[in-house]
Amino acid sequence: MALGDCWKQLSWFYYQYLLVTALYMLEPWERTVFNSLLISVAAMAVYTGYVFMPQHIMAILHYFEVVQ
Amino acid sequence: QNVPYNASLYKRPFVESFEETPLLVAVLTYMGYGILTVFGYLRDFLRHWNIEKCHVAREREEQKDFVPLYQDFENFYTRNLYMRIRDNWNRPICSVPGAKMDLVHRVSPDYNWTFEHTGKVVKDVINMGSYNYLGFAERTGACAEAALKSTHKYGVGVSSTRCEMGNLDIHEEMEQLVARFLGVESAMAFGMGFATNSMNIPALTGKGCLILSDELNHASLVLGARLSGSTIRVFKHNNMQSLEKLLRDAIVHGQPRTHRPWKKILIVVEGIYSMEGSIVRLPEIIALKKRYKAYLYLDEAHSIGALGPRGRGVVDYFGLDPKDVDIMMGTFTKSFGAAGGYIGGKKELIDYLRTQSHSALYATSMSPPVAQQIITSMKIIMGEDGTQLGKENRLRQLSENTTYFRQRLRDMGFIIYGNNDSPVVPLMLYMPAKIGAFGREMVKRNIGTVVVGFPATPIIESRARFCISAAHTREMLDTALAAISEVGDLLQLKYSRRVQPLPSLSWSSEESLLQD
Repeated sequence: MALGDCWKQLSWFYYQYLLVTALYMLEPWERTVFNSLLISVAAMAVYTGYVFMPQHIMAILHYFEVVQ
Repeated sequence: QNVPYNASLYKRPFVESFEETPLLVAVLTYMGYGILTVFGYLRDFLRHWNIEKCHVAREREEQKDFVPLYQDFENFYTRNLYMRIRDNWNRPICSVPGAKMDLVHRVSPDYNWTFEHTGKVVKDVINMGSYNYLGFAERTGACAEAALKSTHKYGVGVSSTRCEMGNLDIHEEMEQLVARFLGVESAMAFGMGFATNSMNIPALTGKGCLILSDELNHASLVLGARLSGSTIRVFKHNNMQSLEKLLRDAIVHGQPRTHRPWKKILIVVEGIYSMEGSIVRLPEIIALKKRYKAYLYLDEAHSIGALGPRGRGVVDYFGLDPKDVDIMMGTFTKSFGAAGGYIGGKKELIDYLRTQSHSALYATSMSPPVAQQIITSMKIIMGEDGTQLGKENRLRQLSENTTYFRQRLRDMGFIIYGNNDSPVVPLMLYMPAKIGAFGREMVKRNIGTVVVGFPATPIIESRARFCISAAHTREMLDTALAAISEVGDLLQLKYSRRVQPLPSLSWSSEESLLQD
Protein backbone atom coordinates (compact mmCIF):
# COMPACT_ATOMS: atom_id res chain seq x y z
CA MET A 1 0.00 0.00 0.00
CA ALA A 2 2.53 2.56 1.18
CA LEU A 3 5.08 1.12 -1.24
CA GLY A 4 2.60 1.52 -4.10
CA ASP A 5 1.99 5.17 -3.17
CA CYS A 6 5.72 5.73 -2.83
CA TRP A 7 6.28 4.20 -6.25
CA LYS A 8 3.55 6.41 -7.76
CA GLN A 9 5.07 9.53 -6.21
CA LEU A 10 8.57 8.61 -7.42
CA SER A 11 7.28 7.91 -10.90
CA TRP A 12 5.53 11.32 -10.92
CA PHE A 13 8.82 12.99 -9.93
CA TYR A 14 10.63 11.11 -12.70
CA TYR A 15 7.95 12.33 -15.16
CA GLN A 16 8.51 15.94 -14.01
CA TYR A 17 12.28 15.50 -14.41
CA LEU A 18 11.71 14.19 -17.95
CA LEU A 19 9.48 17.16 -18.80
CA VAL A 20 11.73 19.87 -17.39
CA THR A 21 14.94 18.55 -18.96
CA ALA A 22 13.11 17.83 -22.24
CA LEU A 23 14.15 14.18 -22.06
CA TYR A 24 10.45 13.43 -22.67
CA MET A 25 11.00 14.20 -26.33
CA LEU A 26 14.09 12.05 -26.76
CA GLU A 27 14.29 8.42 -27.76
CA PRO A 28 15.01 5.79 -25.06
CA TRP A 29 18.66 5.33 -25.99
CA GLU A 30 19.23 9.11 -25.81
CA ARG A 31 17.60 9.13 -22.37
CA THR A 32 19.96 6.34 -21.26
CA VAL A 33 22.98 8.28 -22.52
CA PHE A 34 21.93 11.48 -20.72
CA ASN A 35 20.96 9.71 -17.50
CA SER A 36 24.21 7.73 -17.34
CA LEU A 37 26.24 10.89 -17.97
CA LEU A 38 24.32 12.73 -15.25
CA ILE A 39 24.59 9.86 -12.75
CA SER A 40 28.29 9.34 -13.40
CA VAL A 41 29.05 13.06 -12.96
CA ALA A 42 26.96 13.16 -9.76
CA ALA A 43 28.61 9.98 -8.46
CA MET A 44 32.07 11.40 -9.12
CA ALA A 45 31.13 14.60 -7.27
CA VAL A 46 29.82 12.64 -4.28
CA TYR A 47 32.91 10.39 -4.24
CA THR A 48 35.24 13.40 -4.36
CA GLY A 49 33.30 14.95 -1.50
CA TYR A 50 33.61 11.73 0.46
CA VAL A 51 37.37 11.45 -0.14
CA PHE A 52 38.11 15.06 0.80
CA MET A 53 35.63 15.37 3.65
CA PRO A 54 38.14 14.68 6.51
CA GLN A 55 40.62 17.22 5.11
CA HIS A 56 37.90 19.87 4.70
CA ILE A 57 36.56 19.31 8.24
CA MET A 58 40.09 19.51 9.72
CA ALA A 59 40.63 22.78 7.81
CA ILE A 60 37.39 24.26 9.16
CA LEU A 61 38.16 23.24 12.73
CA HIS A 62 41.68 24.64 12.34
CA TYR A 63 40.25 27.94 11.10
CA PHE A 64 37.93 28.26 14.05
CA GLU A 65 40.84 27.31 16.34
CA VAL A 66 38.94 24.40 17.83
CA VAL A 67 41.88 22.07 17.21
CA GLN A 68 45.57 22.89 16.62
CA GLN B 1 -2.48 44.81 -16.32
CA ASN B 2 -2.32 47.27 -19.22
CA VAL B 3 -4.26 50.42 -18.50
CA PRO B 4 -5.21 52.47 -21.54
CA TYR B 5 -3.65 55.90 -21.37
CA ASN B 6 -6.56 57.68 -23.02
CA ALA B 7 -9.29 56.09 -21.02
CA SER B 8 -11.80 58.71 -22.13
CA LEU B 9 -11.82 57.25 -25.66
CA TYR B 10 -12.99 53.88 -24.41
CA LYS B 11 -16.64 53.37 -23.59
CA ARG B 12 -16.06 50.11 -21.73
CA PRO B 13 -13.19 48.72 -19.65
CA PHE B 14 -10.29 47.44 -21.71
CA VAL B 15 -8.62 44.74 -19.63
CA GLU B 16 -5.62 42.93 -21.05
CA SER B 17 -2.95 41.01 -19.27
CA PHE B 18 0.30 39.50 -20.37
CA GLU B 19 1.81 38.10 -17.21
CA GLU B 20 5.58 38.03 -17.15
CA THR B 21 7.41 34.73 -17.52
CA PRO B 22 8.56 33.46 -14.11
CA LEU B 23 12.37 33.53 -13.97
CA LEU B 24 12.81 29.91 -12.88
CA VAL B 25 10.57 28.72 -15.70
CA ALA B 26 12.54 30.76 -18.25
CA VAL B 27 15.86 29.34 -17.01
CA LEU B 28 14.55 25.77 -17.08
CA THR B 29 13.11 26.30 -20.57
CA TYR B 30 16.46 27.50 -21.88
CA MET B 31 18.10 24.50 -20.19
CA GLY B 32 15.64 22.16 -21.90
CA TYR B 33 16.33 23.74 -25.27
CA GLY B 34 20.07 23.49 -24.57
CA ILE B 35 19.84 19.74 -23.91
CA LEU B 36 17.74 19.26 -27.06
CA THR B 37 20.27 21.24 -29.09
CA VAL B 38 23.15 19.08 -27.84
CA PHE B 39 21.28 15.92 -28.75
CA GLY B 40 20.35 17.51 -32.08
CA TYR B 41 24.02 17.99 -32.89
CA LEU B 42 24.69 14.38 -31.83
CA ARG B 43 21.97 13.06 -34.15
CA ASP B 44 23.17 15.26 -37.02
CA PHE B 45 26.65 13.86 -36.50
CA LEU B 46 25.33 10.29 -36.62
CA ARG B 47 23.31 11.07 -39.74
CA HIS B 48 26.28 12.70 -41.42
CA TRP B 49 28.55 9.71 -40.82
CA ASN B 50 25.81 7.31 -41.93
CA ILE B 51 25.72 5.55 -38.56
CA GLU B 52 22.00 6.30 -38.56
CA LYS B 53 19.51 6.28 -41.41
CA CYS B 54 18.76 9.77 -42.66
CA HIS B 55 15.09 10.49 -43.33
CA VAL B 56 15.46 14.14 -44.27
CA ALA B 57 16.45 15.77 -47.50
CA ARG B 58 20.17 16.07 -47.96
CA GLU B 59 22.34 17.59 -50.63
CA ARG B 60 23.75 15.24 -53.21
CA GLU B 61 27.43 14.23 -53.13
CA GLU B 62 28.28 16.62 -55.96
CA GLN B 63 26.70 19.55 -54.11
CA LYS B 64 28.53 19.05 -50.83
CA ASP B 65 31.08 21.76 -51.69
CA PHE B 66 28.44 24.36 -52.51
CA VAL B 67 26.67 26.66 -50.06
CA PRO B 68 24.88 24.39 -47.60
CA LEU B 69 21.11 24.29 -47.96
CA TYR B 70 20.03 22.65 -44.72
CA GLN B 71 22.43 24.05 -42.14
CA ASP B 72 20.46 27.03 -40.89
CA PHE B 73 18.62 27.09 -37.59
CA GLU B 74 15.17 26.60 -39.13
CA ASN B 75 16.17 23.31 -40.69
CA PHE B 76 18.05 22.20 -37.58
CA TYR B 77 14.98 22.97 -35.51
CA THR B 78 12.68 21.09 -37.89
CA ARG B 79 14.90 18.01 -38.06
CA ASN B 80 15.70 17.67 -34.39
CA LEU B 81 12.97 19.33 -32.34
CA TYR B 82 9.82 19.57 -34.43
CA MET B 83 10.00 16.01 -35.74
CA ARG B 84 10.05 14.53 -32.25
CA ILE B 85 6.62 15.90 -31.37
CA ARG B 86 5.20 16.13 -34.88
CA ASP B 87 2.24 13.90 -34.03
CA ASN B 88 0.53 16.90 -32.41
CA TRP B 89 0.11 18.68 -35.74
CA ASN B 90 -1.51 17.86 -39.06
CA ARG B 91 -3.89 15.41 -37.40
CA PRO B 92 -6.35 14.20 -40.06
CA ILE B 93 -9.98 14.94 -39.22
CA CYS B 94 -12.71 12.79 -40.70
CA SER B 95 -15.84 14.70 -39.81
CA VAL B 96 -17.07 18.28 -39.90
CA PRO B 97 -14.92 20.36 -37.49
CA GLY B 98 -17.81 21.48 -35.31
CA ALA B 99 -17.91 21.45 -31.54
CA LYS B 100 -17.06 17.74 -31.66
CA MET B 101 -15.11 15.98 -34.35
CA ASP B 102 -13.64 12.60 -35.26
CA LEU B 103 -9.92 12.09 -35.54
CA VAL B 104 -8.13 9.45 -37.56
CA HIS B 105 -6.08 7.30 -35.22
CA ARG B 106 -2.49 7.00 -36.36
CA VAL B 107 0.67 5.48 -34.97
CA SER B 108 4.28 6.02 -35.80
CA PRO B 109 6.71 3.11 -35.65
CA ASP B 110 9.80 5.24 -36.19
CA TYR B 111 9.37 8.26 -33.90
CA ASN B 112 7.23 10.46 -36.15
CA TRP B 113 9.17 10.17 -39.39
CA THR B 114 6.30 8.20 -40.95
CA PHE B 115 2.71 7.64 -39.83
CA GLU B 116 0.37 4.71 -40.33
CA HIS B 117 -3.40 4.88 -40.10
CA THR B 118 -4.61 1.98 -38.01
CA GLY B 119 -8.14 2.24 -39.40
CA LYS B 120 -9.62 3.21 -36.06
CA VAL B 121 -11.39 6.53 -35.61
CA VAL B 122 -11.34 8.48 -32.36
CA LYS B 123 -14.93 9.68 -32.11
CA ASP B 124 -16.42 12.78 -30.50
CA VAL B 125 -13.27 14.65 -29.65
CA ILE B 126 -14.17 18.07 -28.22
CA ASN B 127 -12.76 20.56 -30.67
CA MET B 128 -10.96 23.43 -28.95
CA GLY B 129 -8.81 24.36 -31.91
CA SER B 130 -11.05 25.19 -34.87
CA TYR B 131 -11.81 28.82 -35.70
CA ASN B 132 -15.47 28.08 -35.42
CA TYR B 133 -16.40 31.15 -33.37
CA LEU B 134 -20.09 31.30 -34.23
CA GLY B 135 -20.58 27.60 -34.76
CA PHE B 136 -21.31 27.73 -38.49
CA ALA B 137 -19.17 24.67 -39.22
CA GLU B 138 -22.08 22.29 -39.36
CA ARG B 139 -23.37 19.91 -41.97
CA THR B 140 -27.08 20.33 -41.28
CA GLY B 141 -29.11 23.48 -40.95
CA ALA B 142 -30.08 26.47 -43.02
CA CYS B 143 -26.58 27.20 -44.31
CA ALA B 144 -25.92 23.68 -45.52
CA GLU B 145 -29.33 23.48 -47.23
CA ALA B 146 -28.78 26.77 -49.03
CA ALA B 147 -25.27 25.76 -50.11
CA LEU B 148 -26.67 22.50 -51.45
CA LYS B 149 -29.29 24.35 -53.50
CA SER B 150 -26.71 26.67 -54.94
CA THR B 151 -24.49 23.72 -55.87
CA HIS B 152 -27.42 22.29 -57.82
CA LYS B 153 -27.87 25.62 -59.54
CA TYR B 154 -24.31 26.73 -60.25
CA GLY B 155 -22.13 23.68 -59.82
CA VAL B 156 -18.98 23.86 -57.76
CA GLY B 157 -16.24 25.23 -60.01
CA VAL B 158 -16.26 28.68 -61.58
CA SER B 159 -13.52 28.07 -64.16
CA SER B 160 -12.53 31.67 -64.52
CA THR B 161 -11.22 34.75 -62.80
CA ARG B 162 -13.42 37.57 -61.58
CA CYS B 163 -12.40 39.80 -64.45
CA GLU B 164 -13.14 37.38 -67.25
CA MET B 165 -16.10 35.06 -66.89
CA GLY B 166 -16.16 34.32 -63.16
CA ASN B 167 -18.36 37.14 -61.89
CA LEU B 168 -21.63 35.43 -60.94
CA ASP B 169 -24.73 37.19 -59.64
CA ILE B 170 -24.24 35.37 -56.36
CA HIS B 171 -20.93 37.20 -55.98
CA GLU B 172 -22.59 40.57 -56.54
CA GLU B 173 -25.31 39.73 -54.01
CA MET B 174 -22.72 38.61 -51.49
CA GLU B 175 -20.63 41.75 -51.90
CA GLN B 176 -23.61 44.03 -51.40
CA LEU B 177 -24.55 42.05 -48.30
CA VAL B 178 -21.01 42.31 -46.92
CA ALA B 179 -21.01 46.07 -47.51
CA ARG B 180 -24.31 46.40 -45.64
CA PHE B 181 -23.07 44.18 -42.84
CA LEU B 182 -19.92 46.24 -42.30
CA GLY B 183 -21.56 49.62 -42.74
CA VAL B 184 -19.30 50.68 -45.63
CA GLU B 185 -20.10 51.89 -49.13
CA SER B 186 -18.82 48.92 -51.07
CA ALA B 187 -16.99 45.63 -50.62
CA MET B 188 -15.19 43.08 -52.69
CA ALA B 189 -14.65 39.41 -51.92
CA PHE B 190 -11.75 37.14 -52.86
CA GLY B 191 -11.34 33.40 -52.87
CA MET B 192 -8.60 33.15 -50.25
CA GLY B 193 -8.03 35.17 -47.09
CA PHE B 194 -4.24 35.04 -47.26
CA ALA B 195 -4.31 36.15 -50.88
CA THR B 196 -6.60 39.05 -49.99
CA ASN B 197 -3.87 40.56 -47.83
CA SER B 198 -0.83 39.63 -49.83
CA MET B 199 -2.27 40.57 -53.21
CA ASN B 200 -4.10 43.79 -52.30
CA ILE B 201 -1.57 45.68 -50.23
CA PRO B 202 0.73 45.88 -53.29
CA ALA B 203 -2.16 47.46 -55.18
CA LEU B 204 -2.67 50.08 -52.47
CA THR B 205 0.87 51.23 -51.72
CA GLY B 206 4.09 51.34 -53.66
CA LYS B 207 7.48 52.97 -53.61
CA GLY B 208 7.51 56.23 -51.74
CA CYS B 209 4.81 55.13 -49.32
CA LEU B 210 5.27 54.19 -45.71
CA ILE B 211 3.70 51.18 -44.03
CA LEU B 212 3.58 51.18 -40.22
CA SER B 213 2.83 47.64 -39.20
CA ASP B 214 2.41 46.08 -35.82
CA GLU B 215 5.17 43.83 -34.49
CA LEU B 216 2.98 40.75 -34.41
CA ASN B 217 1.16 41.08 -37.71
CA HIS B 218 0.24 37.98 -39.63
CA ALA B 219 2.49 36.55 -42.35
CA SER B 220 0.01 37.57 -45.07
CA LEU B 221 0.23 41.23 -44.07
CA VAL B 222 4.03 41.09 -43.88
CA LEU B 223 4.21 39.40 -47.28
CA GLY B 224 1.86 41.95 -48.84
CA ALA B 225 3.83 44.83 -47.35
CA ARG B 226 7.13 43.44 -48.63
CA LEU B 227 5.72 42.76 -52.10
CA SER B 228 4.48 46.31 -52.38
CA GLY B 229 7.99 47.77 -52.24
CA SER B 230 7.07 50.42 -49.67
CA THR B 231 9.22 51.29 -46.71
CA ILE B 232 8.09 49.29 -43.69
CA ARG B 233 8.51 50.42 -40.11
CA VAL B 234 7.42 48.28 -37.22
CA PHE B 235 5.92 49.56 -33.98
CA LYS B 236 5.74 47.63 -30.72
CA HIS B 237 2.73 45.43 -30.31
CA ASN B 238 -0.41 47.49 -29.55
CA ASN B 239 1.78 50.28 -28.21
CA MET B 240 0.35 53.68 -29.09
CA GLN B 241 3.35 55.68 -27.87
CA SER B 242 5.60 53.75 -30.25
CA LEU B 243 3.15 54.30 -33.12
CA GLU B 244 2.85 58.02 -32.42
CA LYS B 245 6.61 58.41 -32.28
CA LEU B 246 6.96 56.66 -35.65
CA LEU B 247 4.24 58.83 -37.16
CA ARG B 248 5.83 62.03 -35.92
CA ASP B 249 9.27 60.98 -37.12
CA ALA B 250 7.88 60.03 -40.51
CA ILE B 251 6.13 63.37 -40.98
CA VAL B 252 9.01 65.44 -39.71
CA HIS B 253 11.83 63.68 -41.57
CA GLY B 254 10.04 62.41 -44.66
CA GLN B 255 11.55 59.80 -46.95
CA PRO B 256 15.01 58.42 -46.02
CA ARG B 257 17.49 60.31 -48.17
CA THR B 258 15.56 62.91 -50.09
CA HIS B 259 13.42 64.09 -47.14
CA ARG B 260 10.46 64.47 -49.45
CA PRO B 261 7.07 63.95 -47.80
CA TRP B 262 5.71 60.41 -47.94
CA LYS B 263 3.10 59.81 -50.60
CA LYS B 264 0.90 58.05 -48.09
CA ILE B 265 1.27 56.50 -44.67
CA LEU B 266 -0.65 53.29 -44.08
CA ILE B 267 -1.09 51.86 -40.57
CA VAL B 268 -1.64 48.09 -40.74
CA VAL B 269 -3.15 46.42 -37.69
CA GLU B 270 -5.24 43.39 -36.92
CA GLY B 271 -8.51 43.22 -34.98
CA ILE B 272 -7.60 40.28 -32.75
CA TYR B 273 -4.07 38.94 -32.76
CA SER B 274 -4.55 35.22 -32.71
CA MET B 275 -1.29 34.27 -31.03
CA GLU B 276 -1.69 36.73 -28.16
CA GLY B 277 -5.43 37.01 -27.85
CA SER B 278 -5.10 40.77 -27.67
CA ILE B 279 -7.52 43.27 -29.19
CA VAL B 280 -6.23 46.31 -31.04
CA ARG B 281 -6.60 49.72 -29.38
CA LEU B 282 -8.78 51.02 -32.13
CA PRO B 283 -10.11 54.29 -30.60
CA GLU B 284 -6.57 55.52 -30.02
CA ILE B 285 -5.40 54.47 -33.47
CA ILE B 286 -8.29 56.29 -35.12
CA ALA B 287 -7.53 59.41 -33.08
CA LEU B 288 -3.87 59.20 -34.16
CA LYS B 289 -4.80 58.56 -37.76
CA LYS B 290 -7.05 61.60 -37.90
CA ARG B 291 -4.49 63.82 -36.27
CA TYR B 292 -1.56 62.82 -38.48
CA LYS B 293 -3.62 62.20 -41.64
CA ALA B 294 -2.60 58.59 -42.18
CA TYR B 295 -4.67 55.72 -43.57
CA LEU B 296 -5.75 52.67 -41.61
CA TYR B 297 -5.88 49.07 -42.83
CA LEU B 298 -7.68 46.87 -40.35
CA ASP B 299 -7.44 43.10 -40.75
CA GLU B 300 -10.41 41.63 -38.92
CA ALA B 301 -9.68 38.01 -39.67
CA HIS B 302 -10.50 36.76 -36.20
CA SER B 303 -12.67 39.56 -34.88
CA ILE B 304 -15.41 39.86 -37.52
CA GLY B 305 -18.50 38.10 -36.25
CA ALA B 306 -16.84 37.30 -32.94
CA LEU B 307 -16.77 40.69 -31.24
CA GLY B 308 -19.31 43.41 -30.73
CA PRO B 309 -22.92 43.33 -29.62
CA ARG B 310 -24.12 42.99 -33.23
CA GLY B 311 -21.23 40.81 -34.37
CA ARG B 312 -19.80 43.49 -36.68
CA GLY B 313 -16.25 43.16 -35.38
CA VAL B 314 -13.83 45.44 -33.56
CA VAL B 315 -15.45 48.65 -34.84
CA ASP B 316 -18.76 47.57 -33.34
CA TYR B 317 -17.07 46.40 -30.12
CA PHE B 318 -15.68 49.87 -29.48
CA GLY B 319 -18.78 51.64 -30.79
CA LEU B 320 -16.93 53.55 -33.51
CA ASP B 321 -17.92 54.66 -37.00
CA PRO B 322 -16.95 52.21 -39.78
CA LYS B 323 -16.32 55.17 -42.08
CA ASP B 324 -13.27 56.06 -39.97
CA VAL B 325 -11.42 52.92 -41.00
CA ASP B 326 -10.23 53.40 -44.57
CA ILE B 327 -9.79 49.78 -45.51
CA MET B 328 -11.63 47.09 -43.59
CA MET B 329 -10.36 43.67 -44.49
CA GLY B 330 -11.54 40.38 -43.08
CA THR B 331 -11.91 36.73 -43.79
CA PHE B 332 -14.91 34.46 -44.05
CA THR B 333 -12.98 31.45 -42.81
CA LYS B 334 -13.39 32.00 -39.10
CA SER B 335 -16.82 33.18 -38.07
CA PHE B 336 -18.81 32.42 -41.21
CA GLY B 337 -17.76 28.83 -41.82
CA ALA B 338 -16.77 29.49 -45.41
CA ALA B 339 -13.51 30.43 -47.09
CA GLY B 340 -12.18 33.61 -48.56
CA GLY B 341 -11.61 37.22 -47.68
CA TYR B 342 -13.13 40.61 -48.31
CA ILE B 343 -12.10 44.23 -48.43
CA GLY B 344 -14.57 46.98 -47.64
CA GLY B 345 -14.28 50.71 -47.97
CA LYS B 346 -15.24 53.68 -50.11
CA LYS B 347 -16.71 53.00 -53.52
CA GLU B 348 -13.77 54.57 -55.39
CA LEU B 349 -11.32 52.39 -53.50
CA ILE B 350 -13.17 49.16 -54.23
CA ASP B 351 -13.70 50.07 -57.89
CA TYR B 352 -9.97 50.72 -58.13
CA LEU B 353 -9.21 47.34 -56.53
CA ARG B 354 -11.54 45.56 -58.90
CA THR B 355 -9.25 46.48 -61.76
CA GLN B 356 -5.86 46.71 -60.11
CA SER B 357 -5.71 43.87 -57.59
CA HIS B 358 -3.67 40.82 -58.56
CA SER B 359 -6.19 38.58 -56.90
CA ALA B 360 -9.07 39.94 -58.92
CA LEU B 361 -7.25 39.68 -62.20
CA TYR B 362 -5.58 36.32 -61.88
CA ALA B 363 -7.10 34.25 -59.12
CA THR B 364 -10.14 32.09 -59.62
CA SER B 365 -13.23 33.56 -58.07
CA MET B 366 -15.05 32.12 -55.11
CA SER B 367 -16.93 28.88 -55.49
CA PRO B 368 -20.77 29.30 -55.50
CA PRO B 369 -21.62 27.05 -52.51
CA VAL B 370 -19.02 28.90 -50.45
CA ALA B 371 -20.52 32.24 -51.49
CA GLN B 372 -23.99 30.98 -50.59
CA GLN B 373 -22.73 29.84 -47.18
CA ILE B 374 -21.45 33.37 -46.58
CA ILE B 375 -24.77 34.90 -47.63
CA THR B 376 -26.82 32.61 -45.42
CA SER B 377 -24.59 32.90 -42.37
CA MET B 378 -24.36 36.67 -42.66
CA LYS B 379 -28.14 36.94 -42.91
CA ILE B 380 -28.49 34.79 -39.80
CA ILE B 381 -26.09 37.04 -37.86
CA MET B 382 -27.84 40.18 -39.07
CA GLY B 383 -31.21 38.73 -38.14
CA GLU B 384 -32.54 39.07 -41.69
CA ASP B 385 -33.60 35.46 -41.95
CA GLY B 386 -36.61 36.33 -39.87
CA THR B 387 -35.51 34.98 -36.52
CA GLN B 388 -33.36 36.24 -33.70
CA LEU B 389 -31.57 32.87 -33.48
CA GLY B 390 -28.37 34.34 -34.83
CA LYS B 391 -28.13 36.83 -32.07
CA GLU B 392 -29.39 34.63 -29.24
CA ASN B 393 -27.82 31.30 -29.97
CA ARG B 394 -24.59 32.46 -31.47
CA LEU B 395 -23.41 35.92 -30.51
CA ARG B 396 -24.61 35.82 -26.94
CA GLN B 397 -23.45 32.23 -26.47
CA LEU B 398 -19.97 33.05 -27.75
CA SER B 399 -19.66 36.03 -25.45
CA GLU B 400 -20.79 34.03 -22.41
CA ASN B 401 -18.55 31.11 -23.27
CA THR B 402 -15.54 33.38 -23.66
CA THR B 403 -16.04 35.14 -20.34
CA TYR B 404 -16.71 31.88 -18.50
CA PHE B 405 -13.79 29.97 -20.00
CA ARG B 406 -11.27 32.73 -19.44
CA GLN B 407 -12.43 33.34 -15.88
CA ARG B 408 -12.24 29.66 -14.98
CA LEU B 409 -8.78 29.21 -16.48
CA ARG B 410 -7.49 32.25 -14.66
CA ASP B 411 -8.94 31.03 -11.39
CA MET B 412 -7.23 27.68 -11.85
CA GLY B 413 -3.88 29.42 -11.89
CA PHE B 414 -2.78 29.21 -15.52
CA ILE B 415 -1.08 32.08 -17.28
CA ILE B 416 -3.52 33.29 -19.93
CA TYR B 417 -2.62 36.04 -22.35
CA GLY B 418 -4.85 38.58 -23.94
CA ASN B 419 -7.98 40.63 -23.55
CA ASN B 420 -10.86 39.39 -21.41
CA ASP B 421 -13.26 39.54 -24.35
CA SER B 422 -11.27 37.78 -27.01
CA PRO B 423 -12.42 34.25 -27.95
CA VAL B 424 -8.83 33.21 -28.64
CA VAL B 425 -7.27 31.99 -25.39
CA PRO B 426 -3.51 31.31 -25.34
CA LEU B 427 -2.38 29.24 -22.35
CA MET B 428 1.33 29.39 -21.69
CA LEU B 429 3.34 26.19 -21.64
CA TYR B 430 6.93 27.50 -21.99
CA MET B 431 8.92 24.22 -21.86
CA PRO B 432 9.45 22.28 -25.09
CA ALA B 433 8.63 18.87 -23.66
CA LYS B 434 5.37 20.20 -22.25
CA ILE B 435 4.26 21.22 -25.75
CA GLY B 436 4.26 17.58 -26.86
CA ALA B 437 3.03 16.26 -23.52
CA PHE B 438 0.07 18.68 -23.39
CA GLY B 439 -1.10 17.85 -26.88
CA ARG B 440 -0.90 14.12 -26.29
CA GLU B 441 -2.49 14.13 -22.84
CA MET B 442 -5.42 16.20 -24.08
CA VAL B 443 -6.06 13.81 -26.96
CA LYS B 444 -5.98 10.92 -24.48
CA ARG B 445 -8.80 12.72 -22.65
CA ASN B 446 -10.69 13.21 -25.93
CA ILE B 447 -10.07 16.92 -26.33
CA GLY B 448 -8.36 18.24 -29.44
CA THR B 449 -6.13 21.26 -28.87
CA VAL B 450 -3.67 23.26 -30.88
CA VAL B 451 -0.21 23.73 -29.38
CA VAL B 452 2.15 26.28 -30.83
CA GLY B 453 5.89 26.63 -30.52
CA PHE B 454 8.73 28.30 -32.34
CA PRO B 455 8.73 29.82 -35.02
CA ALA B 456 5.14 31.00 -34.65
CA THR B 457 5.92 32.29 -31.15
CA PRO B 458 9.13 33.49 -29.45
CA ILE B 459 11.25 30.50 -28.53
CA ILE B 460 10.54 30.29 -24.82
CA GLU B 461 6.90 31.40 -25.03
CA SER B 462 5.27 28.32 -26.45
CA ARG B 463 1.57 28.03 -25.79
CA ALA B 464 -1.60 26.08 -26.26
CA ARG B 465 -4.27 28.07 -28.06
CA PHE B 466 -7.96 27.48 -27.42
CA CYS B 467 -10.62 28.90 -29.75
CA ILE B 468 -13.98 29.17 -28.07
CA SER B 469 -17.02 28.51 -30.18
CA ALA B 470 -20.69 29.34 -29.84
CA ALA B 471 -21.33 25.67 -30.56
CA HIS B 472 -19.69 24.65 -27.27
CA THR B 473 -22.27 23.97 -24.59
CA ARG B 474 -21.57 24.63 -20.93
CA GLU B 475 -21.14 20.88 -20.33
CA MET B 476 -18.50 20.63 -23.05
CA LEU B 477 -16.62 23.57 -21.61
CA ASP B 478 -16.80 22.05 -18.13
CA THR B 479 -15.47 18.73 -19.41
CA ALA B 480 -12.69 20.54 -21.22
CA LEU B 481 -11.86 22.66 -18.16
CA ALA B 482 -11.74 19.60 -15.90
CA ALA B 483 -9.38 17.88 -18.31
CA ILE B 484 -7.21 21.00 -18.66
CA SER B 485 -6.98 21.28 -14.87
CA GLU B 486 -6.04 17.63 -14.57
CA VAL B 487 -3.37 17.91 -17.25
CA GLY B 488 -2.21 21.18 -15.69
CA ASP B 489 -1.64 19.43 -12.37
CA LEU B 490 0.03 16.46 -14.05
CA LEU B 491 2.40 18.65 -16.06
CA GLN B 492 2.73 21.43 -13.43
CA LEU B 493 1.48 24.16 -15.75
CA LYS B 494 -0.15 26.43 -13.18
CA TYR B 495 2.57 29.04 -13.21
CA SER B 496 0.57 32.12 -12.36
CA ARG B 497 1.85 34.08 -9.41
CA ARG B 498 -1.06 36.44 -9.12
CA VAL B 499 -3.05 36.39 -5.91
CA GLN B 500 -5.90 34.02 -6.61
CA PRO B 501 -9.33 35.34 -5.65
CA LEU B 502 -11.61 32.94 -3.80
CA PRO B 503 -13.58 30.99 -6.38
CA SER B 504 -17.09 32.35 -6.67
CA LEU B 505 -19.66 29.87 -5.52
CA SER B 506 -21.92 30.25 -8.51
CA TRP B 507 -21.13 31.89 -11.78
CA SER B 508 -24.19 33.83 -12.79
CA SER B 509 -25.06 34.20 -16.41
CA GLU B 510 -26.18 37.79 -15.97
CA GLU B 511 -22.52 38.69 -16.08
CA SER B 512 -22.56 38.45 -19.85
CA LEU B 513 -20.82 41.43 -21.40
CA LEU B 514 -23.10 41.35 -24.41
CA GLN B 515 -24.99 44.57 -24.05
CA ASP B 516 -27.98 45.29 -26.19
